[in-house]
Amino acid sequence: MNDDPEQLDRHVDDLLHDRKPERTPLPDEDALRARQTAAMLRAAKPGAGLPSKEFLARMQGSIGEWVGEQSARPQPAARPSRRSLLLTGAAGIAAGVAAAVGLQRFVPKPVAPGPAQALVEKGAWKPVKALAELPQSTPVAFRSGAIEGFLIRHGDEVKGLSAVCTHMGCILNYSKFRNQFECPCHGATFETTGRPTDQYDTPLPTLPSLQVRIERGQVEVYSV
Amino acid sequence: MREHETSSAAPIASREKVVSLPHAHLPQGQDHLTWAYQTHVTAIYQYIYSRVGNRPDAEDLTAQVFMKAISGMRNDVSVPELRSWLYRVAQTTLADHWREYYAEGAEELEEDVTRPPAPRENPEAVHRVDALLATLPESYRRVLELRFLRGYSVRETAQELSLSEANVKVLQFRALNRAGRERGRMS
Repeated sequence: MNDDPEQLDRHVDDLLHDRKPERTPLPDEDALRARQTAAMLRAAKPGAGLPSKEFLARMQGSIGEWVGEQSARPQPAARPSRRSLLLTGAAGIAAGVAAAVGLQRFVPKPVAPGPAQALVEKGAWKPVKALAELPQSTPVAFRSGAIEGFLIRHGDEVKGLSAVCTHMGCILNYSKFRNQFECPCHGATFETTGRPTDQYDTPLPTLPSLQVRIERGQVEVYSV
Repeated sequence: MREHETSSAAPIASREKVVSLPHAHLPQGQDHLTWAYQTHVTAIYQYIYSRVGNRPDAEDLTAQVFMKAISGMRNDVSVPELRSWLYRVAQTTLADHWREYYAEGAEELEEDVTRPPAPRENPEAVHRVDALLATLPESYRRVLELRFLRGYSVRETAQELSLSEANVKVLQFRALNRAGRERGRMS
């Protein structure tokens, strides 16, 4: 049962049509690697590899049930310290929103929209751009340490916004034509003020503001 | 410039912590752990999709990963813990998946995920693919680009390259095998 071009092409053809490939036993590691490489190439096609809305909806329901069943069981006593729940390194760039959520589980208070929560502690001011380089009113993307965001200049003031989509944590793009932030994952959109503009059943939260200051003509962002 | 907002209600607020997030968005009746899992579904799905390359398998395996991960995890974990746990479970689930095709050797094919990919896995995948294609001879690169990145059928590829369809399949076979070995070398 040697691997051959016909058999491999059937596998490729299934991938290209998003069908489950037939599960035939493979003769050797080369044959396996060829299929794994085909999968990698398939996923690189623009638009491939994003979960469908239906699948996400199904998973949303299932996860709720599974977590419910799991919570009903007795738990070991271990508890992470509150500090361990804070993002302190570059590991959590886009997990920012999710991290704040993990943290909130230990903060007993109402979940109504309200006061802000700290995400990063012991950061530092980091220069990102020269003020002179920033155009008026047009968001400019930056990345500094664990923070990805946009700087928007109005006169000599600069506002910083997080670039992490408040839906599922993807990194937003700025569209010059539509003058809004757009999520490549599920199409959420935000005004340049950070306000969500789309029509999810439950409105998404506003994009978090970042702390920004101007020092000797340099725009600095507080980040880790 | 906006001042940092603090809240007397938030016991962790202090002057050091300056990057603020508003309250997370929680659909009604959901706890935070559920929400934290749900925010990882897209990233795990993309991770798995880029290893299996088709939707039905990616959906099955993603569901398996979450089911296993949730039943095996304490429910008072931090998000970074939960995240790396999910990727670990995804790795073993993928290894099991490939073992159904090929009994041996699946383990060593696992990739390094010590640094879990950010939710924008896809651009990184594209970058990895570009790097891989760059190692291939021109004819191999062409056939893979046409088939995978432009979605040409075998017939269209044959026309484009002035080859017979059988030759396209042979070329594709050699190209994928060569790329598979290059990939092993690169990782």
